[in-house]
Amino acid sequence: MNRPEIQDVLYEAPGPKTRRRIRLFTILALLLLAGLLAAIVRQFAVTGQFQPKYWFFFARLTTWRFLGEGLVTTLGAALVGSALAFGMGFLLMRGKIRGNPVLRWLCTALIEFTRGVPTLLFIYFFFLIVPGTGWKLSAFWKITLPCAISACGVVAEALRSGVNAVPKGQREAALSLGYRETKLFYRIIFPQAIRFVIPSLIAELVIVLKDTTFASIVSCADLMQNAKVLISNYDALLSIYLVVAVIYILINYMLNRLSDRVARLLKGGGSAERRAA
Amino acid sequence: MSISALLTQYGDRYLQALFATWRLTAFSFFGAVVIGIVITVLRVCPISPLRVFGNFYVQVFRNIPGAALLILLVYALPYLNIVFPYEICVLIATVLIPSAFCSEHLMSGMNTIHPGQIEAARALGMTFFQIIRRIVIPQALRSSVLPMTNLMVATMLTTSLGSQVPLRPQELTGIVSYINTRSAGGVTAFAISAALYCLTALFIGALGGWIDRKVRILR
Repeated sequence: MNRPEIQDVLYEAPGPKTRRRIRLFTILALLLLAGLLAAIVRQFAVTGQFQPKYWFFFARLTTWRFLGEGLVTTLGAALVGSALAFGMGFLLMRGKIRGNPVLRWLCTALIEFTRGVPTLLFIYFFFLIVPGTGWKLSAFWKITLPCAISACGVVAEALRSGVNAVPKGQREAALSLGYRETKLFYRIIFPQAIRFVIPSLIAELVIVLKDTTFASIVSCADLMQNAKVLISNYDALLSIYLVVAVIYILINYMLNRLSDRVARLLKGGGSAERRAA
Repeated sequence: MSISALLTQYGDRYLQALFATWRLTAFSFFGAVVIGIVITVLRVCPISPLRVFGNFYVQVFRNIPGAALLILLVYALPYLNIVFPYEICVLIATVLIPSAFCSEHLMSGMNTIHPGQIEAARALGMTFFQIIRRIVIPQALRSSVLPMTNLMVATMLTTSLGSQVPLRPQELTGIVSYINTRSAGGVTAFAISAALYCLTALFIGALGGWIDRKVRILR
């Protein structure tokens, strides 16, 4: 049974009087928003931010190629960071679920630690402390590793909730068929659990991608860092930062859309299976 | 540097930093919830331009990286003759971003309300705003305590943005880079800040769990 979304039941079909009122308020709201937009545009115009010297270089291919190089680094760091976070999160999740109480306690502590400490602190750790220990890391790893560490606790908890969402009967059925614990987990439980958590894993990718914007701290040439170089080249701060912010927003928006689509798809697939059963 | 040496030299600063983080978190969270509620009302109101605006607002601030927003506020706005003090810039960033997530949580909290309740309220002659204020918002808030708890922890983590600008007093992340550039605080300097963050997060989590048990709606 499908329940309607709350927005659709909040009001019934309006009568003529309400319709008139809605129309009036719609016009008022449009005027208000148009006024807001006009105020922003006016502020840009008054301060001369529309001058071509702030925008002409966006017509050049080299500008976009340079930003594109930064974007590739950003995406690479986000993907590698997420993959590492997935690996570490998986180990933490296994450790937390498995029997050994010492290991369980340790993994729980690590999960809570990485979830409670801001990514920036990890980044500063890799920036200020790690070089002193003689561990030579490139700029790319100095941003990717802290982002991965900071995400792995969240991933572990997401995976754990996925494992817990697999019905108990699956485990019992597999045990009665003579499956050993390891085989049971990798053949029966985990493939189902991963389906529950794919949307939240994609959402985690967004978080890692956002965290990589601090890459300029460790002077890794990501999108943000390349934007800074462009700014010093063209002496145009506002336009470049604005464009870069829009790029970030669009990428994350698309990833979130993907996550929603996948979530709906998996939900639909699940119910289809149940119907077939 | 040993922990006792570090604490005797910088103990006061750590305490100030802890309070700065708590203050920022509290103000940001409060602001985020207030703005989140307003934006959520816009997103479900019958005036379609306002709905579009609400959805646009959420998508923008849900997806913008904190660093990018803070840079726009601190370095780009002055080019438009809009200058805020550093602390206000940080506060704006740490309000706007969590407010978008707050609205998302409230929307899914709202969707746990049965449509029959709203139909009943309308049958009793309640107006739209009465329904929103008396029926929808209270239940949406009550069933989103746990997401809100996570939001508060996330807000606390976001306040580490404050380390990117000169704040006075510094917050918990800024203090670490301050100490490490001045004297070799080493791993210990990080451990103290990390422990304070973690304890705060655990406290918020425990508080949220307690409130959730008190107000959760059993259906």
